[in-house]
Amino acid sequence: MIATPDLINALAASATPVRRLRPPLTRAAFWLLVAALVVGLLAVSQGIRNDLLERLRDPIFAIAIAATLLTGILATISAFMVSLPDRSRFWPLLPAPAVVLWFSTIGYQCLTDWVHLGPGGIALGETARCFATLALTSLPLSLVLGMMLRHAAPLRPGATALMGSLAVAAITATALSLFHEIDATIMILVWNLGAAALFVALGGLIGPRLLRWAAR
Amino acid sequence: MPPERSRRPPPLALVESPPSAGQDLGRSQFGSGAEATAKESDWSNLMARAQAGDSGAYRRLLEQVAPYVRSLAVRMSRDPSDVEEAVQDVLLTIHAIRDTYDPRRPFGPWLVAIAHRRIVDWLRRRGRTRSRETAMEPRHETFPARPTNIDEASSDRRALRAAVESLPPAQRQAIKLLKLQQMSLKEAAAVSGTSIASLKVATHRALKGLRRILAGRSEDA
Repeated sequence: MIATPDLINALAASATPVRRLRPPLTRAAFWLLVAALVVGLLAVSQGIRNDLLERLRDPIFAIAIAATLLTGILATISAFMVSLPDRSRFWPLLPAPAVVLWFSTIGYQCLTDWVHLGPGGIALGETARCFATLALTSLPLSLVLGMMLRHAAPLRPGATALMGSLAVAAITATALSLFHEIDATIMILVWNLGAAALFVALGGLIGPRLLRWAAR
Repeated sequence: MPPERSRRPPPLALVESPPSAGQDLGRSQFGSGAEATAKESDWSNLMARAQAGDSGAYRRLLEQVAPYVRSLAVRMSRDPSDVEEAVQDVLLTIHAIRDTYDPRRPFGPWLVAIAHRRIVDWLRRRGRTRSRETAMEPRHETFPARPTNIDEASSDRRALRAAVESLPPAQRQAIKLLKLQQMSLKEAAAVSGTSIASLKVATHRALKGLRRILAGRSEDA
């Protein structure tokens, strides 16, 4: 262990100018813009599902898609808020109502799908295409969000990663319900929350080392 | 909407927040009222200049912040080296994420949140490491020379036993009763059925014999 005055000297000597982070709401808006761009590009390349307008008349579907989108937006805001040290640690509660609404519609869809399609009714081809959309949406969004929130690693890695993953999951789910006819919410959640768990574990393992390296 | 602290917190927001850290932390170093406000806005200015690359301001800030952080750490750990490492961890964290500080907001909550979070994390990590360690006890100690660690199988004790066995029966019995079983002369005489005088003689001869046998052995070796 080096002496604290020596550490202070070393840190002061490496005090290069830093660019202040923009306000969290601005940064959240920027990321949501990136998300809209990714989803828009996918819409151009994959095409919107044919029965979208028809489905939007179904109130359950409309509520589900609105709740998903709202979850995405609120989770993004809460991720950027909770990543800062001097903001309340209760920000992760912000998307909770939207999440409850979203999850309750998943339950309903699962039930109706069971009744209408029957257990073997989902074609492999559609599932695979669904998965492709899922990866194409969530990978770039996760990367961008991870870069933007990396400074939270030494502070609240768990809450930030959870909120970030929820945001990505919700945006991905919105994209999927625009493009594909099957409900892949469970797959999306497993995929994204699994990734969140991975990020949290990695953060715990390499976070401090990364921090010391960054501070050098 | 979750409660966020108001945009313009009262001057002593430093000791009020964050909720988990502020209740019992931060009072001693700051005094109260105008003094605390002045110090805090001073730190805020220093940090703003440090963000612009002013290393003199940054050094002054860190030098003033370190004792304050130490006072927080001391409340959570008594071990001085633990405290100092936790303080350094906090300073490194401040350095790594100094771009997250917004000079329009008070400096105190930002600092206390980082310090509290890092100190708690650090102590938890320390506790985990300690729980895996076992303290050395005297019986674990050993000596570097090889013969000191060799057990009975090849030690002198075995040679001594062999030497005792090779003695004439009367002498052997005397040694076993008096020296190995540590009986008194009276008890040994009762057990063996011989007189005390003859036991003494037998012991004397046995010791002489053993000395001769063991001396020969060590000369051989």
